Amino acid sequence: MNEQALIQDAQRGDLDAFNTLILHYQDSVFNTALRILGDDDLAADVTQDAFISAFKGINSFRGGSFKAWLMRTVTNACYDELRRQKRRPTTPLEPDTEDGEEMDSPRWMADPGMTPDQKAEADELEHAIQHCLNNLPMEFKTVVVMADLQGMDYSEVAVAVHVPLGTIKSRLARARLRLRECLQGFEELLPSVFRLGEESTA
Amino acid sequence: MKQRDLELLSSYLDGQLSSSEATRLEARLRTEPDLRSVLQDLRGARTVLRQLPMRKAPRNFRLTPQMVGKNPPLPRAYPVFRFASTLATLLLFFTFGLNLIGPQLASQPPAFGMGGGGAPDTFAAEAASQAATEAPLAEMPATEAPAEEPSVAMAPMPTASVSAEEAARAAETETTQSDATENAGDTALVPPQTPADETITPPVSPVWQWILAGVALVSALIMALMRQLAISRWRNKK
Repeated sequence: MNEQALIQDAQRGDLDAFNTLILHYQDSVFNTALRILGDDDLAADVTQDAFISAFKGINSFRGGSFKAWLMRTVTNACYDELRRQKRRPTTPLEPDTEDGEEMDSPRWMADPGMTPDQKAEADELEHAIQHCLNNLPMEFKTVVVMADLQGMDYSEVAVAVHVPLGTIKSRLARARLRLRECLQGFEELLPSVFRLGEESTA
Repeated sequence: MKQRDLELLSSYLDGQLSSSEATRLEARLRTEPDLRSVLQDLRGARTVLRQLPMRKAPRNFRLTPQMVGKNPPLPRAYPVFRFASTLATLLLFFTFGLNLIGPQLASQPPAFGMGGGGAPDTFAAEAASQAATEAPLAEMPATEAPAEEPSVAMAPMPTASVSAEEAARAAETETTQSDATENAGDTALVPPQTPADETITPPVSPVWQWILAGVALVSALIMALMRQLAISRWRNKK
């Protein structure tokens, strides 16, 4: 895929070229939205909105990392969605357990190649991580999702979040530390995976 | 743990430190167990995060023209013609305005401070018509309404109009003659101009107006043609 040529075509209004870019980036964009928002359906809606905004504003892209630019668009869309939720709070549809805890979403157990035990374990891990991510402040969550989940380098994250590189380093370090503290609470729940002290050699 | 050390450890984990910074930090890590412990924590958190599976997008997010309210892509030259058409139209209206207002402004003398006598060039033209109304006033007592208000002065004396008319006819010739002689000095200073005699030259030549109109029209036609071609090409492509 010649990304540069596709971007130029898209900037001239070629929707097919932009759709090729969408196919290439839609998983990344969706996963970013999912981890920031913590909800599949919302993430899908925000992803679609982000791509529409990206196409309409593609002439503002002046080179550099297209992924970072796209991530900035989806992050803004996530911020908009969260602001909207604050104005109009909604009740989650997932049923609660007897303890009043929200049940694990069955949508997260969709991989057909896993045994039931593996599914349960993976689901628990994912749920635990998502829970800890949800507890992070928005600006920390955005940075850690881009750097650690999307594998973007610091400069790309800085472009995407539109803050200086030093701020990215600071936010990332603090986000990781907070996540570590939060994940310690799930040690009993996830004994086989979550032994953070032993990961140091990894 | 200092914030600075935390940032150093996190950056070290990602290989974002310079070699000298990394060497210094590694030396500290060998001697400071607290620092090592935090590094392990950060690494552990990062490792767990990276275990999160990348989910496949639940659906295709491809955009349709309807989603983006898209119009067919127009040629690059389109904005040039749009600009030319707009500019030519604006200039055309401007020239119309200029040609309409310009002569009027040019024909008006600096009338400020001229008193009740009116402008010299209009005086000559109005003198004849005014003479008829002013003539009867000559017979009126000096205490009557002033000459500047002829309508007020004429209103209360309709019965005197017959005899006054005869006097007016006699006076008319005298008045016009005397006016003419009075105005002789004025006309010597300012050449008499009547609307019929004026040869008004518009500030903007009509040729330029035709050119501007032509540019606006041709540009608009080219734009319409470009748009039609783009639409038909776009439809064929889909």
